[in-house]
Formats: sequence, structure tokens, C-alpha cells
Amino acid sequence: MPSITNSAGSFFNRSLAQMADLRSGIERTRTQIATGRKIERGSQDPAAAAQLRSVARREALAQVEGDNAARLGQDLAAAADEVEAVSNLLQRARELAVQAASTPLGPDGRRAIAFELEQLGQELFTRSNAVSLTGEPLFAGQSSGTAFTRDAAGNVTYAGTPESGAVPVAPGTAIERGLPGSEVFQFDLGGTPTSAFAVLGALTTALQGGAGDPVAAANASLAGLDAALDTTGRATTILGTRMAWVEQVETQQAERRVALAERRSRVGDTDIADAIVRLQQSMTALEASQSAFARVSSLTLFDALR
Amino acid sequence: MPTAIFTIGRSGLTASRRSLELTAQNIANADNVDYSRRTLTQGELVMTGNIGNNAQDSLGGVRPGTIERAESSLVQRQARDSSSALSAAEAEFFAMKEAESALEASGVFTGLVDFEAALTRLQNNPTEPALRLSALESARKMAGNFRIANGTLANARNLVQAEVSAKTLTVNELAGELAKVNADLVGSREGTAGRAALLDARDKALRGLAKEFGISPTINANGTADVMLNGTPPVALVTGATTSPLATSFAADGTVTFTVGGTPTVPAGGAMAGRASALAEMAGLQTGLDALAVSAINITNAAQANGVGLDGNPGPPIFAGTGAGSINVVLASADGLATAAAGSPAGSRDTANLAALISALGDASGPVSGTDSLLLGLSSRVSALETRSEGLSVVAASAEAELLRETGVDLDTEAANLVRLQQAFEANSRVIQVAAELFDTILGLR
Repeated sequence: MPSITNSAGSFFNRSLAQMADLRSGIERTRTQIATGRKIERGSQDPAAAAQLRSVARREALAQVEGDNAARLGQDLAAAADEVEAVSNLLQRARELAVQAASTPLGPDGRRAIAFELEQLGQELFTRSNAVSLTGEPLFAGQSSGTAFTRDAAGNVTYAGTPESGAVPVAPGTAIERGLPGSEVFQFDLGGTPTSAFAVLGALTTALQGGAGDPVAAANASLAGLDAALDTTGRATTILGTRMAWVEQVETQQAERRVALAERRSRVGDTDIADAIVRLQQSMTALEASQSAFARVSSLTLFDALR
Repeated sequence: MPTAIFTIGRSGLTASRRSLELTAQNIANADNVDYSRRTLTQGELVMTGNIGNNAQDSLGGVRPGTIERAESSLVQRQARDSSSALSAAEAEFFAMKEAESALEASGVFTGLVDFEAALTRLQNNPTEPALRLSALESARKMAGNFRIANGTLANARNLVQAEVSAKTLTVNELAGELAKVNADLVGSREGTAGRAALLDARDKALRGLAKEFGISPTINANGTADVMLNGTPPVALVTGATTSPLATSFAADGTVTFTVGGTPTVPAGGAMAGRASALAEMAGLQTGLDALAVSAINITNAAQANGVGLDGNPGPPIFAGTGAGSINVVLASADGLATAAAGSPAGSRDTANLAALISALGDASGPVSGTDSLLLGLSSRVSALETRSEGLSVVAASAEAELLRETGVDLDTEAANLVRLQQAFEANSRVIQVAAELFDTILGLR
């Protein structure tokens, strides 16, 4: 007997599957709201997951680059402070040299000047070996030892490297860490390489009585001091420019971090309003489907037959 | 003849009572998925006597016929085939989903990025002990994450393998059951309740087998079923009352091979085929993961050898190992990190070699982007499998609904039958009552 039947088992299976679908949808939306993340597993949206991974990597690296830039800024500022102090010091030395060059000053006066110049020399040496907040030498280039050493005869020599190395602060951007001491304290005078230490030392020795004509020696030292001042002035400019650069990079980094966060949020975060509306919709559908099931399933002939 | 009316009424009573019994049976089995609806066939009973040309008919009522089982081999086959396809897709999907969570949650990518970030931070001040130590520790963490990924992947593989072994037992059990049913079917009589129950058992076994393997059953005239497993080559699993045992073995890379009665075969459908391809894909993943670990080891160690550490000596290797399972940090002291280019003096703050290492790690051919593409490939694959099994589950559900429509019990029909048969029973008893009254009338003639 061919017949069209509506199997009871089939009806229950169908209803169950539909309600299970709705329930799992609700569960997923609820998880999205609770975790705030749209994607639990990569396979839910492979392309978005890959984007999230690359954003996460960029964010991690941007964080480190930001820290690097901040520390680089500090190091450069410390170096700039030292160079400015050195400038002032050399300025004072020049004033003293001019005083010493004036004839009325007697040998005693010159000795007093020589004494002060010696102190300035000490300070210059100390400043040349200044260290950063973390204890690294500021003017030793890539060397971690002291920048300048002084031998028994009082000769100061540069012990660092001629380059200071660069720190990456953004993709493709690396900024020099500082200035090597050779570019701050050493210069050519009339074609001969010399240094601020040598000029100051020579003047001190001359004024202490080491030269037959201290006035001439003082006059002669002015050219050297001017050259030393020029060098430190140049160093200040370079450091200032780099600090400005770091600041600019930091601004860009902050903007990029915001952009990255926005992008991550757009790709991976739950849109709460949207999710709640969808949740409400699914719940309404589930409730309706449950009550429809309850009513339809009671519609059997057995109930009608009494 | 009043006696004939008695007989007719009695036969009607018997027929309606037996139909009622079947209806009750149908209702009782409404929830039994393996049960196929039964109906009772009935035939008119007429006795004809001949003497010469004189034929005389005598009505004998109704003869309860055979128990018929609602059957539809085509729909059965559709349901079996669609469930094979769905099981294959689902088994592969669930296995690969496991592998996906294993690789994603183990943090191989995060570990590599953290290592990269720690090295970038070290560039800021390569001689600072804290930064060096943190770089070394993030290397250790990265190696640990590789080992975790290796372990969780092995775990996912073991789960699938255990399932394959367990289901092999199920398949052999089902095949044995089918062979036994086949043997019993040969001796069973057509149209009996016992035969209908055996046919139910046969279809149940076939459905069970179809879940695990794609099968091509041949239903013979006597109701027995011979089963061929689809695959290359196709092999006979059950022939009549004999079965060929299914055996599985696992290769060193975790892939599975099936033999049926000693003949190796590659199954072409069902959950086993899904698991087999999942195992093959996991072997591929393992190779990929090992290659990533080896690339991280080689790039880092090569960079170490190219530069010098804090003491001015060439950097010793950071990692040792031959794959994701064995990668570990062997560098004893963070001072050994070769940040400076070769030839630099001890304590140099040069970062040329460190920069080379960072760019090699982050390069398009390096482990970071390798991990990204491995994960992207895997999650795309899982997503495709999910879509496929969702589609197939719709197909399978509709085939199942079709099968239930053909063979399942409709309670409304059965309720209507109950009323109808009850009335038929009452009517037949009324016939007997009438016959008795007729008889009494005759006996009462005075």
C-alpha cells in the first residue's frame, strides 16, 4: 500500500536538529560577547585570523620599538646635556685664555688661571667619560669600556670606536645611538689632529711656567679653543636634530599603535551591539521554535481520541 | 449455512486481531530507528467445489497473509551513501579541528614573535645583562612552545589513531553480525515476523558499516547482503556467512593502512577514510612544524656563528635539536649571544649581527612567516572542511528524513488504524453474534 506518511521519528529529529542549531548559534554569540573576541578558532575566518596574527606581531614589535625610541631619546638627551656642559666649560676656558693673554697679569695671576684651567681639564675628562642612565658610556661609540683614557703623562686618548651604532625605532628607520667621543672632543687644527684635552693641557702647562712666553702661548691656544667650541657646537646640533627625529618617530609610533589597535578591533573584536541584537533574535527564534514544537508535538490523533 | 458465517466471522476476528497486534508493535517501535514499519497482507478465502460442471462457492472469510516490511532499497542506499560522505567529512573535520586548536593554542607564533621582539629590544643596548637574559629566556620560551605544539599535535594524532583502532573493532563486529544475519536469513520463512526482524538487523548492520566505510552492498534474492568496501582496490568484507577481517596498522609518521582479509586497500568513503586523510594531513603538519623548528634553529645558530658574543669570541649555538620535539636551548650564558659582527672586540655595543639575525627571522622565508602560512593553510583547510560537512549534513538529514518517511512509523496513521481495526473487530464479533442468533432462531423453531 503506497502511502505518504509523516514519520513521527522524522518530525522529532528535524525539530531537535533545528533547535540544536539555534542553541549552538546562541552559545557562539554568547561566547563572543563574553570574550569580546569574534574569532575563537582560526578556521572561523582564516583570512581575519591571519590579519590578526600579523597585527599582533606588528603590535609586539611596535611596543618594543616604542620603548627603544624612548630610551634612545633619554640617551640622546643625556649626551646633549653633557655636550652643553662641555661647551660652557670650553667657553670659560677661552675667557681664561683671553685673560691670560693680557700682559698686565703677572706670573701669579697666570698660575691662578692655570690652576682653574687644570680643574676644567679634570672636569672635561670626567664629562667625556659620562655614562647614560643605565651606566653605558655616552661617548665611547660601540665600545662598552671608558671612552677616553689618560696615561701617566696626562695624555688623553680615545678608546672607543669611530661609530656609535644605530637603534631601530620603526620599520626601516634606525637612528644613531649618540655621537662617538672622537666627533665631540677631537678635531683637526691646521691640518694636525688634536683634541680639546690636548689644547687645554698645553695651555695649562704653558701658564704654569712651561713656556718662555706664556702670553704668546695663551694667544696661540685661542685658535684651538675656538676649534674645540666649533666641534662641540656641531655635536649639539647633531644631537638636537636626532632628538627631534626621535620625537617625530615617537609621534608616528603612537599614531601607528592607534591604527593597529583600531585595525585589530575592526577585524577581531565583537561588535557588542550587533552581537546582542543577534543574540536576542536567536533567543526569540529558539523560544518560538520550542513553543511551536510543544504545540505541534501534542497534535497527535491519540490526543484527539478519547 | 450459519456455520459458514461463524467461520467467516472468526477469520475476520483473527485478521483484525493480528492487524491490531502489528499496529501495537508499530506504535511500540515508533522510537526505534532501526525498525521498519510492518503491515499485514490479507487475502479473501473462497472455497470452490466442483462436481461435473456444477461449481459451488463457499465463502470462507479472510486469510491473514504475510507480514510485510516497508522497504525501499533505493532510499536505504541514499541514506547509507550520504551518511558515508558525511561521516568522512565530519571525522576529518573534527580531527583537523583538534590539530588546529593544538597548533594555535600552543603559541608557536607568539613565541617566535616574542623572541623577535626581545631581540629587537636588545638592539637598544646590546650589553645590558637584563636585556640579554630576557632575549635568551624568550628563546627558551619559543623552544618550549615548539615542543608543546609537537606534543599537542601528537596528542591529536593519538586520539584519531585510537578512534581508528576502536572503530576497527566495531566494523569487524558489525561484519560478523551481518554474516550471522545472512546465515539466519537463508533459513527464514518469507513473510514471518522473524524474517522482518532479521531484515531490520541486516539494514542496521549495513548502516553501521556505511558510517565507517563507503560500501557497495549487493542484496541477494533471499535477502542476504554481500558487502564490498569501496576503495582502491575494492575488497569484499562480507560474502554470505563469511567475513574478511579488517586490520589496521600505523606507519612511523602516524598514517594508517587498512587491510581486509590480508589485502591492502585505501578506503574511499566513510569515517575511516576521513580519519585516514586527517592522519595524512597531520603527518604533513608535523613535517611543516619540524621544518619551522629546524629553520629557527639553523637561522639562529648560523647567525651566532657569524658574530661574536660579549667576550669577543664567536657565539656558540643557541639551539640544539632536529625538530619541533627536540628543539631546546643549549646556550649556557646570555653573554654568549653574538650581537656584534665578527671581529668586534669584547664588550662591543655593535648590533650588526643581531640586526642580521632579526631580519633573517622576520624574512619572508623565515620561521615567523612560515608559521603564519602554516596556520593560515591549516585554518583555511579546517574552514573548508566545516563548510563541506555542514553541506553534507543537510544532504544526510534529508536522506534520513526520506528514509524515515518510507519506513518509519507515523503515529497518526497508526492511531487511525487502531480505530479502524477496533471497529473491524467489533463488527466481526457482531457477525458472530448475528450467526448465533440465526442459529438460535432455527433451533427455536417449534
